Amino acid sequence: MTVQTTFGAQPVLKMIGIGKRFPGVSALRNIDFEVRPNEILGLLGENGAGKSVMTKIMIGIHQPDDGEIQLNGQATKLLGPVDAIKKGIGGVFQEGSLLPNLSVMENLFLCHERDFMQRGVISRRAMVQEARRLMATMKLDIDVTEPVSQFAPAAKQMIEIARVLWLAEQYGAQNPIVILDEPTTVLNDGERDTLFEILQELKQRMSIIFISHRLQEVLENCDRLHVLKDGDNVTQIPAAGMQVADIERLLVGSEFSGDRFRETDQHTPDGDVVFKVEDLGLRGAFEPLSFELRAGEIVSLVGLIGSGKEELCACIAGTKSHDTGTVWVDGVTPAKGSPQAAVRAGIGHVPVERREEGLALNMSVMDNMNHLVLDRLKTAGAIHRRKEIEHAHEWVAECLVKTPTIHAACSGLSGGNQQKIILSKWLSSNVKVLILDHPTRGIDIGAKDEVYRLIRKFSKAGIAMIIMCDTLEEDTGLANKMVVMSERKVVDVLDAAPEHKPTPTDLIKLIV
Amino acid sequence: MQALHSSLRWIRRSGVATQLISLALITTIFFIGTAGKSLTMSNIQVILSLTAIPAILAIGVHMTIVIGGIDLSLQGVVALCAVFTGTLMANKYTTYDVGLWIIPITIAVGGLAGLLTGLTHTKLRIPSFITTLGMSFVLYGVAVYINKSQIVSLQDDRIQNFIHAAPFGIANVVLIAVFVTTFVQFLQDRTPFGRHLYAIGGDEALAKQLGVNVDRVKTLAFTLAGCLYGIGALLLVTRMGSATSRAGLNLLFPTITAVVVGGVALTGGVGGAKNAFLGALILAVLNNGMVLMAVNPYAQTAVNGVVLIVAVALTIDRKKLGFIK
Repeated sequence: MTVQTTFGAQPVLKMIGIGKRFPGVSALRNIDFEVRPNEILGLLGENGAGKSVMTKIMIGIHQPDDGEIQLNGQATKLLGPVDAIKKGIGGVFQEGSLLPNLSVMENLFLCHERDFMQRGVISRRAMVQEARRLMATMKLDIDVTEPVSQFAPAAKQMIEIARVLWLAEQYGAQNPIVILDEPTTVLNDGERDTLFEILQELKQRMSIIFISHRLQEVLENCDRLHVLKDGDNVTQIPAAGMQVADIERLLVGSEFSGDRFRETDQHTPDGDVVFKVEDLGLRGAFEPLSFELRAGEIVSLVGLIGSGKEELCACIAGTKSHDTGTVWVDGVTPAKGSPQAAVRAGIGHVPVERREEGLALNMSVMDNMNHLVLDRLKTAGAIHRRKEIEHAHEWVAECLVKTPTIHAACSGLSGGNQQKIILSKWLSSNVKVLILDHPTRGIDIGAKDEVYRLIRKFSKAGIAMIIMCDTLEEDTGLANKMVVMSERKVVDVLDAAPEHKPTPTDLIKLIV
Repeated sequence: MQALHSSLRWIRRSGVATQLISLALITTIFFIGTAGKSLTMSNIQVILSLTAIPAILAIGVHMTIVIGGIDLSLQGVVALCAVFTGTLMANKYTTYDVGLWIIPITIAVGGLAGLLTGLTHTKLRIPSFITTLGMSFVLYGVAVYINKSQIVSLQDDRIQNFIHAAPFGIANVVLIAVFVTTFVQFLQDRTPFGRHLYAIGGDEALAKQLGVNVDRVKTLAFTLAGCLYGIGALLLVTRMGSATSRAGLNLLFPTITAVVVGGVALTGGVGGAKNAFLGALILAVLNNGMVLMAVNPYAQTAVNGVVLIVAVALTIDRKKLGFIK
């Protein structure tokens, strides 16, 4: 696709040929990106497309490996969030950057208390006054001396935006840039309208980079769009005249390669039902729902963040406790809210945060692999060293784990190899159902293919799987059946046999 | 009505509501239990005097808890400062006799110890728990080495007389504690340093990202804590009129209990000097009341342990913690 550089003024921020690599993955490749004065720019891309790495480069948390950043035509380096804000770039992220125990005004003016000092001490009155003025520009009527933890997400967002603006003003930035990462996911309709009203006003003196999965609101409010896919530029285009369907096509990409997910190996399950959820529900997270899995069946849960699929998996894995319904695994109903009971019943969970939740990083490859099968490796009640080593060797070979020895610590291995170790831990145990939470997140293409191979192989061997993937293509490619969730409900169940896979475009319509 | 509403709001916001209620409650219990003896003028004087030095030490420790750390070096620092006092003030073993200069000297010794602890913690990136635990033994060892476990009678009784005197109806030692509390609370409320303590306690990584000079603020907090231990040590030694390295013993447990009872969250970011003072006051009322009611001394020790655990249970919202270490 061609990069259009027609209309508009001199860009405020220009990023040329940006590349960023992490161990084992290249996150961004040769990205060209620009922000023009007084615009709202929509930054779009699926999960893992590189949006968050891009924004982290813009606020100086990551340094690019290649390329150049220009501010108002001058080459520059952004050394960190504090430096970025001095140069007029600030971000408001989903995880929030307000200190919950400090008051609104203390958060606003953190590290700039000196501006409010009178006779050597902080003048609370001056602080309150300035904070109230800022809140008024955000149309926010709150007590600025209350701790931030008291306020709803909508107010917190406004406070953060106000802080970025105030700081940019203090440092004399001409046309500050504020990055808003999924600001509307935590807002109700009224709050969302207010946010856009304020953004349209603020646009007169700044630029906004707006990230959202809700394409309709992006189209309605942005002036220009920039689409990323798999760490590459797709295109940048004016928003006017675009339809949601056009953007969907850009997001998903046109090419649809034949056997990327080893679809030809797809196994059509014909065995018994091994897993069922019946009327499973968790108030505020997902409404009661039911589905079942045959031995070796792969079901993919698709839906946006907040659709309830994450909580559903947490309830099945026992890390959350459901309110209604039951989980059933091959004749057993594990006690709810107990990961231990779930594992004993044969439910495995490969978490998205593999470094934190999936592995004991400081322990060896062997210890991690054998963790669940130690009982099998015993002789006369004690763990038998030789059996342990044999078992580990067998699975290192089976899963093609690249490690210097089975005694190496997992912390030194690449993401792909770590993921293979987690998989082998579960696959070698008597797991009946495996939940794969973003199994290929952050690993390179070769390792992805290895993961697909293992998924296919063990699906044939009869292990049922529940998957949630980074992209819809991956979900569609791997699954036998797709359960589509939206607004905490199952909206559709689609068949995904190799010969008639649903198209990503169909799915996006159901999800959004 | 408006006035009542705003004063209720003030109490809620002040962060000492629970402490004031607990104080009222145990005062009432002991008032009834001792048939009024606990609230005589002279007993109130006793309670306040019992509060003063623990309060100063507790304010020191609380500085380090507010930033999300802990300081276990208290006993070592106090022992060292006590030994300095015993060596440098007029006594029959040494000939230094620095007179009232001992006041800045002890504070400086405490401060230097705190500075050393703070730098070790921040520059070598060793957890405060381990740094201060180790430092406590190092300093205590130095103190015992200098002092050889002698008990040194002080021949200069000017400070002793001053802290016992009560020109305003309350012993000066109590006024010193009140002054220290006010001073530290003021630092916390009205200076950037004070506000940054809370930012670090709230979320250290985030505070750093937002531009707080985390290492400097933390080092300063440990230094200030050390200065306060110096003041506490000087008061402990001169009140008794004799100095020994043993002055540092058995201080850590009651001090941390006072901090926690005062409502300073061990997770950091919550509670100020006034909380530490109130914590010390509550413990003084409790222990004084148990003595008046002739509770078995061993039972008193156990009660203090229970109080510590209950106080933590009340201050932490434990549901939010994923796991307990």
